[in-house]
Amino acid sequence: MSQTHTARRGLRLPGRRIVLYVALAVVVLWTVVPVAWMAISSLKNPADVLSRTPLLDFSPTMANYAGLFSGGNSLLTYVRSSVLAAGISTILATVLGSLAGYGLARSRWRGKRHLAFWIISTRMVPIAAVILPLYIGFTYLHLINSIWALVVAYLSFNLPFAIWIMNAFFADLPQGIEEAARVDGANRFQTFYRIAVPLTKPGIVTTAILCLVFAWNDYAFAVTFSGPGSATLPVAASQLITQTGVNWGQLTAIGTVVALPMVVIGLAVRKYLVRGLTLGAVTGE
Amino acid sequence: MASRALEAARLRPIRQGKRRFSFEVKMMLPALLILAAISIVPFFYLIYMTLNKISLVGGVGIAPKWIGFHNWAQMFTDSNVGAGWITMVIFFVATVGLEMLLGLGIALLVYEMVWGKNIVLSILLIPMFVAPVIVGLLGRFLVNPTYGVYAWVLRETHIFTGNILGGQVSAFIAVVLMDVWEWTPLIVLITLAGLVSVPGQVLEAAKVDGAGYWQRLRHVVVPSISGIVLVALLIRSMDALRYFDVIWQSTAGGPANATKIIPLRLYEVAFQFLNLGYAATIGIVMLALSIAIAMLFTGILRRRGLIG
Repeated sequence: MSQTHTARRGLRLPGRRIVLYVALAVVVLWTVVPVAWMAISSLKNPADVLSRTPLLDFSPTMANYAGLFSGGNSLLTYVRSSVLAAGISTILATVLGSLAGYGLARSRWRGKRHLAFWIISTRMVPIAAVILPLYIGFTYLHLINSIWALVVAYLSFNLPFAIWIMNAFFADLPQGIEEAARVDGANRFQTFYRIAVPLTKPGIVTTAILCLVFAWNDYAFAVTFSGPGSATLPVAASQLITQTGVNWGQLTAIGTVVALPMVVIGLAVRKYLVRGLTLGAVTGE
Repeated sequence: MASRALEAARLRPIRQGKRRFSFEVKMMLPALLILAAISIVPFFYLIYMTLNKISLVGGVGIAPKWIGFHNWAQMFTDSNVGAGWITMVIFFVATVGLEMLLGLGIALLVYEMVWGKNIVLSILLIPMFVAPVIVGLLGRFLVNPTYGVYAWVLRETHIFTGNILGGQVSAFIAVVLMDVWEWTPLIVLITLAGLVSVPGQVLEAAKVDGAGYWQRLRHVVVPSISGIVLVALLIRSMDALRYFDVIWQSTAGGPANATKIIPLRLYEVAFQFLNLGYAATIGIVMLALSIAIAMLFTGILRRRGLIG
């Protein structure tokens, strides 16, 4: 009985492994082809991009990228807006989120769970529902077409997010170390700054990177609140398609410019991603 | 004696918490004030908006005119909004369902991998970091009837020869697959974290007892990862309600409204028809739905002891 069992397993194993790797190859292809094709197409000249049959044998050119960054409507102003809006919003969300996350983690009062729920519920609000009141508010405050409208709008999803993840990271810290520091004479803020913050550095970095990715990738807020002075890269990408007809060479180039930095820095925090993206509810590997 | 000192240390925060503006509250205050300003105030304004006719004139003039529950009455009889919700429900079930199934399947595959796991996992995560707008544009590029790679593959294999974004069903499938492409990796990642935590001894014991792969999967693996998978499901559910950019870029809701889910309908009512009060009414309903899901989410997390 047991002999036939092992024999059967021995026979089935190689076949199963082949199935496994074939299936994985399909999954990897499905994942990679779109982005790879975007990057490849961005290096083609216009005629090659529009080839009716997929071309892999072509002479690469940087013309699409050069075209994006030269001329009157250079991509540089969009890059600047994207970096400023996403960057400022990320810094604010991370700093304020760390403070509040620590406060929340160390709070012991009963209403805490309601506060926590309110915080997270603001993160889950559909963008389409936030956009209207913010639009009117920004109009009154004359903030439309300024970087600050975007900074504030991005805080609406990044701040609650940062509070929740940082809360999770701080809640996991062994309190004994902090209590030892306090016995040694450190006040509460010193304990936070000198003990808790250094110990949760990976959490803070993960929070900052995810906030940056969310803000950098936003389109709905950016297209609604920004004007010529504050339009971000995703807006530039969509304008390329509506105004000048479709220049797919430039479009794939701009897509690569928008995607590449976020993919690189996103993968840098892979280890902590699970925890970050589930708002701390699931502890990663 | 020692335990009593410990007890005292544990109690200290409680007493401090009862003071007005304790340290904890001071730490939270800046963030909470900002959150209140950009969520509570807008929330009440949103309600006010639903009771007014608010038109935008040239993007500057905003003149609210009190009309009571007119917007609400209109919404419940508006067949466009009804159709938007139906599309949304189908879209939601299709995307979230596919993402869960594929995500679980792929996670089980990756879990079985012996070498190359890290590289494969890194590759699989790429889509999550690509901006949705770019996903939408890229989707358009790949299925373009004359020079899109995917359109070419489908044509050569005689699976589909028409204009993919031109047909109602094919366009719908295309936008579903764009979201599936972008977010299945998240489910893979979360499920893998669950799989890693499945107790190895229990699996080993089941193996010794003669349980086959599928039996082990059903009786050992699935029960122990169900909590984490549920978290993944809820996270995706909330985000699916926010879905906007990809469809806006790839089909803008067309053809013939086949992909016009409710967020697009709202955006169109607000910024194309410039009827902000009516859009706010649709927004409130979306808001209520998202809060319901959020309550479900935190309720489940709490019951499983994942949050305090």
